[in-house]
Amino acid sequence: MRIAMHLLLLLLYFFLLPFSGANKTDAAHEAIATNTNNWAVLVSTSRFWFNYRHMANVLSMYRTVKRLGIPDSQIILMLSDDVACNSRNLFPGSVFNNKDHAIDLYGDSVEVDYRGYEVTVENFIRLLTDRWTEDHPKSKRLLTDENSNIFIYMTGHGGDDFLKFQDAEEIASEDIADAFQQMYEKKRYNEIFFMIDTCQANTMYSKFYSPNILAVGSSEMDESSYSHHSDVEIGVAVIDRFTYYCLDFLEQIDKNSTLTLQDLFDSFTFERIHSHVGVRTDLFDRDPSEVLITDFFANVQNVIPDNSKPLSISHYHHHKDYIETAQYEHDNNVLDLALEKYHRNITSSKVDKIITHIKSSNVLNVDIDSNEYSFSSFKRSASLVLVHIIAIVFFMLRGNTSKATHDLYTS
Amino acid sequence: MSNANLRKWVGFCFIAIYIFVGIPLWYKLTTVYRAPLPVKYIESLQKNKFQDIHLVIPVYVRSDTYRFPDIHDAIQVQVNHLLNSQEQQIPWSLQVLPYNESMQQANSEDNQFHVVTLVLDDFIGYSSAYDTKETIVYYDDAAVLSNDLPFFVAQTLVEHTFQLEWTHLNKTHESATTNNNVAISYDPNIHLSITLLSGDGNPVAWEIEPTLTDYFSPFRKLLSPLVNLTVDSSIVYHNDLNLHSLNGSYSNVTWFDLSHTIDLSELSSMTYYPEDSALNLAVVFPSASSTPDGLAFINGTRISDGLSALDWNSYLVPQWGVIIINKMPLKPNSVISEDYLEPMMYRFASDIFQLLGLTEGSQDLLSPYITIDSFKRLTTLQNLDKSVETLWSLVKLTQQFQGMSIPHEVSDNVLEALDLRFQIIDLLNDPGKGGDMVWNNALHLSNELVKLCETAFFNGEMVQQNFFPQEHMIAVYLPLLGPISAVMFFGFYNVMKEKDHKNEKNGIEREVTEEKLELKEAQNLHAIDGENEL
Repeated sequence: MRIAMHLLLLLLYFFLLPFSGANKTDAAHEAIATNTNNWAVLVSTSRFWFNYRHMANVLSMYRTVKRLGIPDSQIILMLSDDVACNSRNLFPGSVFNNKDHAIDLYGDSVEVDYRGYEVTVENFIRLLTDRWTEDHPKSKRLLTDENSNIFIYMTGHGGDDFLKFQDAEEIASEDIADAFQQMYEKKRYNEIFFMIDTCQANTMYSKFYSPNILAVGSSEMDESSYSHHSDVEIGVAVIDRFTYYCLDFLEQIDKNSTLTLQDLFDSFTFERIHSHVGVRTDLFDRDPSEVLITDFFANVQNVIPDNSKPLSISHYHHHKDYIETAQYEHDNNVLDLALEKYHRNITSSKVDKIITHIKSSNVLNVDIDSNEYSFSSFKRSASLVLVHIIAIVFFMLRGNTSKATHDLYTS
Repeated sequence: MSNANLRKWVGFCFIAIYIFVGIPLWYKLTTVYRAPLPVKYIESLQKNKFQDIHLVIPVYVRSDTYRFPDIHDAIQVQVNHLLNSQEQQIPWSLQVLPYNESMQQANSEDNQFHVVTLVLDDFIGYSSAYDTKETIVYYDDAAVLSNDLPFFVAQTLVEHTFQLEWTHLNKTHESATTNNNVAISYDPNIHLSITLLSGDGNPVAWEIEPTLTDYFSPFRKLLSPLVNLTVDSSIVYHNDLNLHSLNGSYSNVTWFDLSHTIDLSELSSMTYYPEDSALNLAVVFPSASSTPDGLAFINGTRISDGLSALDWNSYLVPQWGVIIINKMPLKPNSVISEDYLEPMMYRFASDIFQLLGLTEGSQDLLSPYITIDSFKRLTTLQNLDKSVETLWSLVKLTQQFQGMSIPHEVSDNVLEALDLRFQIIDLLNDPGKGGDMVWNNALHLSNELVKLCETAFFNGEMVQQNFFPQEHMIAVYLPLLGPISAVMFFGFYNVMKEKDHKNEKNGIEREVTEEKLELKEAQNLHAIDGENEL
């Protein structure tokens, strides 16, 4: 009896399993539809060799978002870029984020948008607010719109309500908040995910006031953020703890992952990070447990099958106030209309050919290697056959038929 | 003048220069320039964006069989009645006019007007012409006798010919910005990037140039009043948009799988074009090495006559473009012929209408000319709305950030934009104007208006760190102005003090001399007799 009960439950479980899966996919479907393009702004505000880890942090993030499909044209990378070719670097041209040297972060195409002394507070604010002089290149601009989700990652040395830029100046939390407000005013984002890894990082998002911003910081006020480990060969720390565990989590993500930002936040524990990670959700509409990681870190493009209706159908025009429906058959494709209009005045020999309804063949016409020639349109084949016959007759008269036809096809 | 007086004057001069020249100069040099903006006016515009707009579309009535001398007035009454039955968000109306000789001359190929033709027939009905802006209304004698004709015409016009206006301009319609997710936001200049992708590295060619000349140039011409399309084409090898990872696993690939597999990152490089928005057409052939038998999930596209099916499927990527996936890989050295590309052009042409927002979903385009015409008007109104929003955002920001400078160009741009807005409204409101030219012109001007407003909003000089802590101010000004001020005021104080001291000294001297004088007088009077009295 008990076994039968278990069996019944098991059956019920198996019966319900596909439904739960389907629900999950449906939720994911809905989540995809909210945005159509994702952008990433990745900033390392430090320079000099001893800040190697900040460069590694930001390059690791760059690698992750690129792996998940955000194109380079939608990634803005700001870094001082002075460690890869630093004379103290034992591995010239390489940047590693782990002492096992498994991944060279500087390896394949890294497109840095702002490097060296271009990494300034002014440029950062200009980037967010998109206020530039006219000759500023398009590739260095944040061309977002109301459908864009933006992931902003910052790392460097910070303090209470400020973040240093290259030991020369500092940005205040109010400045970032105001810049976000200006973006919001001009509808330049759908949602922003702000992540910051500095000392006292949580103070940096405390002043935000614009809607639809989710923020996470690595440490509380009066608390430091720590580096993860040093590399003996490189001689300095190579990555920060917060970023390290963040990447550790993101490595398991691929484009069809259903993990959410809440899963990411749950993975941050004091034992791992050694500081109190803060999350600010009050400005954000959605619950982080409903926000897929891929909503910010990846570029998942909706694809709608377009084969529901046949190409250029005739359709029925419904007449109101009349019992019968009158049938209007005409080519419904706008291209025909355009062609018709265009050629109405220009009476060329091509018109007939173009306006004729297409009965296109599936065959790719020319395959030079195999010398196969197939013709899709009768007209064209007729004229070409005529040319062939004349050519063959011509070559036959010259007496070397086989070579001639071969020449004809290969030339 | 004595030495003391001179010092006094110099001290005064220093203080006067400090107060009357130094402080104003310092104030002038340190305040940010904020050009005045017509804040009040923009605010009132934002509160009621369409306060001065009343869109009027002229419609001409033509009757071939019977002569109805007053039918246009009768239709007008019915149209007004119908339009008033619905609360309008943006006021609009139709101006029904008789079709006459002069009208016939003005109505040319390039400058068409809306015409309603009344045709006597056995039944009552209507049809919209496919290639002109004409609406034909069929009526029978019974309708004329019962005087129903004006109502039929009015209903046809409002609910069918001007259906887009009827639905979009009423109160219940959602705001224009929340359009469907497929269409890109309107931009007068759009770049079109056509790419052939082959999974292999074997050389391939395609007859894209003649195809574009034959099919796409006329299409561009049709759309030219709306958008200016610039086209480029390219061939990309060794890229099948990651389709090879789908093959073999299952033949029943859903769009969900596709959207997670397809990798468009190499094609989404809109930064290389000067245009602000871009659409793409990607024609993909799978790789022969990984998918020798073709992609299983491609089941072909039917053509209407049902004779043959094409060997590719097309997919719409919202706000990006169209992907056409071919089933079979390309043989080496293939040339893709114009005939093969032709149906793709047909498919792409109808998809562009969706991507531009002219049609929604799989809805058919019944009368493209009327749709395009309505689209022009709606876009013009949208542009007006958008520009007022931008101006309002600008005003809000400048008020919120008092430390932000407002250059003179911004105020110039704003004033110019407001002037332009009036010009557009004049065009829209004039019942006498309503040909293609007028709508084209209005659309063109409204695009300029949007651009002007954006230029004002995104002015490069309006950037600064808005937040300056008080300590920063002290840190900057104290080392500079502190020493000067200190020297100035203490010096002045000293000069003043010196003068007082001298006065005091004089007073004592005067007292002494006075005493001496008194003494002398007393001696002269012999008032002092004995030595003891001294």
